[in-house]
Amino acid sequence: MHIIFFLSHVLLSFLILYKVSVVLVLFPPTCDSQQVAIHIVATQYVNRTGFMGSLKKEKVLRVFKLSTGQDDHAIMFMEDYLKQMASSVKRFEKEKQHDLEVFEWFKTYVMESKLDVCIAHQELCSLLSHGGEVTDRHVTLLISAGLLTRQLIDPNMYWFAIPNIGSILKGLSQGRKELLSLLNRRKYKEMPLAPLEKKRLRLSPLDMRFHLRDLIGSGHLKSLQTPAGIIVRVAKD
Amino acid sequence: MWKEVRDRETGTLLPLSLVRRLRSRRLAALQLSNRKEIVSPHHGAVNSLQVDLTEGRYLLSGASDGSAAVYDIQHTTDYDGGLIAKHKNLFVVDKQHNHGHKFAISTAIWYPIDTGLFITGSFDHHVKVWDTNMIQVVMDFKMPGKVYGTAMSSIATAHMLIATGSADVQVRLCDIASGAFTHTLSGHRDGVMSLEWSTSSEWILMTGGCDGAIRFWDIRRAGCFCVLDQSRSQLGRRPPFSQGTPKRDFIASTVSTGKSSFEKTPVSQKRMPVGNGKKQLTTSRKNQNVSGGPSTQRLHPGMSSSHNRATAHYGAVTGLRATSDGMYLLSSGSDSRLRLWDIESGCNTLVNFEAMRLQTSKAIQLAAFQDSSLVFVPSMASVKAYDMWSGTNLGTFRGHYELVNCCYFNLQDQELYTGSNDRQILVWSPSIPAVTVMEEDDKKGQTLSTDRDNWSD
Repeated sequence: MHIIFFLSHVLLSFLILYKVSVVLVLFPPTCDSQQVAIHIVATQYVNRTGFMGSLKKEKVLRVFKLSTGQDDHAIMFMEDYLKQMASSVKRFEKEKQHDLEVFEWFKTYVMESKLDVCIAHQELCSLLSHGGEVTDRHVTLLISAGLLTRQLIDPNMYWFAIPNIGSILKGLSQGRKELLSLLNRRKYKEMPLAPLEKKRLRLSPLDMRFHLRDLIGSGHLKSLQTPAGIIVRVAKD
Repeated sequence: MWKEVRDRETGTLLPLSLVRRLRSRRLAALQLSNRKEIVSPHHGAVNSLQVDLTEGRYLLSGASDGSAAVYDIQHTTDYDGGLIAKHKNLFVVDKQHNHGHKFAISTAIWYPIDTGLFITGSFDHHVKVWDTNMIQVVMDFKMPGKVYGTAMSSIATAHMLIATGSADVQVRLCDIASGAFTHTLSGHRDGVMSLEWSTSSEWILMTGGCDGAIRFWDIRRAGCFCVLDQSRSQLGRRPPFSQGTPKRDFIASTVSTGKSSFEKTPVSQKRMPVGNGKKQLTTSRKNQNVSGGPSTQRLHPGMSSSHNRATAHYGAVTGLRATSDGMYLLSSGSDSRLRLWDIESGCNTLVNFEAMRLQTSKAIQLAAFQDSSLVFVPSMASVKAYDMWSGTNLGTFRGHYELVNCCYFNLQDQELYTGSNDRQILVWSPSIPAVTVMEEDDKKGQTLSTDRDNWSD
């Protein structure tokens, strides 16, 4: 699995311009050969400017809340998400399960109208019922396909989720831990940026640069200018 | 500085900009004061600090050993070596006092009208009102649980209610005039840790609970009218026009949405007289995606039900502070996040305050100033200052040895007072002296003369 940097210049320059604080992971579509191409931009969570808000409204982008950390969100292009959803549904079809029409209902009714990151059980059922009779089995299918996740805090709310990103999320959290332990093991808990960037993380498929920007943005690491260059240090307190 | 005063005389500099410039210059030079010290008589962690609102002269502190003390911060009691002014307490009330608190005092506030009364709330379930001159308890209210916070409205003219939050889920309002509880506000699912009266209306109270919710209550009506939801956000300071367009385009108009996660009535309802408010509620809503309420229970259109589980923080809400213009609310949570809310729209302004760690078990006292765009937050053993709009860390004040619980910023003198678990109250003042060196010469004359011989070629 290798990483391909893929993003239009407009969106990238915009995201860097309006500083954002949380890691955004942008997902272009999965190809048939199972390569997941990921573009990572570690910037502040940007809902502040009209650009993002209007892109959300026009349904070009979709924002998801990730389970890896408190403020981690993922932004994905809508068409990529629909392709991802389609490939996950295809797997279900192969196993010849019943009640597969719920995926169609989900796509037409829920995706179009609900632009939030979460949805209540009541609202989900009422939106899905536009397609037909909704039973608990339908909701179970949606959860097992990976499109919805139950919230731990509130039993009646669901988060929207991206199917088949488990390995990436695992890589994300393990890569963070690995980078932090790498710096914590050193005597002075710091390292110059240039050799640090060249290192490869064992447990994460994501780039070292991504993890660095992620941890600097969330405040776990800080970078300082020194006469010898930029140094990355573990932030205490 | 004198050049700027001259500019103000000639009219090239506006008076207000002179004030702002001087103030921001002094604020940028804030550090541990080497001129002033407060001698703390407490034998326990200092939990609460407040300077009185009428004169800005007396500092009231409440500590974990059940003691409360008052200091005069403008006049010193004695000088230590002629350089550092020591401010000793004017009096202390502690466990030895026959009506004193038996356990820790979690909050001590001045009566907002004058310094004749002060109110203390403690873990021994009591809220006591003290007469400052007689140092006697005038009134005593017994609460059902440990008292975590008390608040009185500084702009109230029609009532003198003490809002108290305790480990019990209900917020009680105690009346000093009658000595009884006038209101019981239910809606929170867990204890209430922080309370704040609105700075624009004497009837609006904002409470933050251990369940992570921030509720707005209008005490003239039953129930809360707003619950802040962290996922409802707006773009910075002003909501753009596009948010006003109803979301009916996306949902077929025949769909009736079920329980929604937020219900809010517009602010215009607050300004109208109480009688007319209810009629105009349904017509003048800003966000149209809410119907009359959940299908299981008929809800009054102006009220948020207790089923509304929207949270403002992922943990307990440990501190609340409203800006003096009544437009923004700053809240801190045990999830180590600081959030700035626009009160009028009830939205999260998504200002990202740089990484901080906040203590989770106790309520902390924040300080927020909208005109200087400053926020002071006690973060573990230091106090951090942030810019309110960009969220950048402007400075960290490290001086305490243990967790800092409270901070109070005196805008008049630009001095910051902080109290922590190490039983000390530290003063942070601008290192630029307000008075010029010439005026202090006669006081320091003796020490200077001793140094005069210490010269060498």
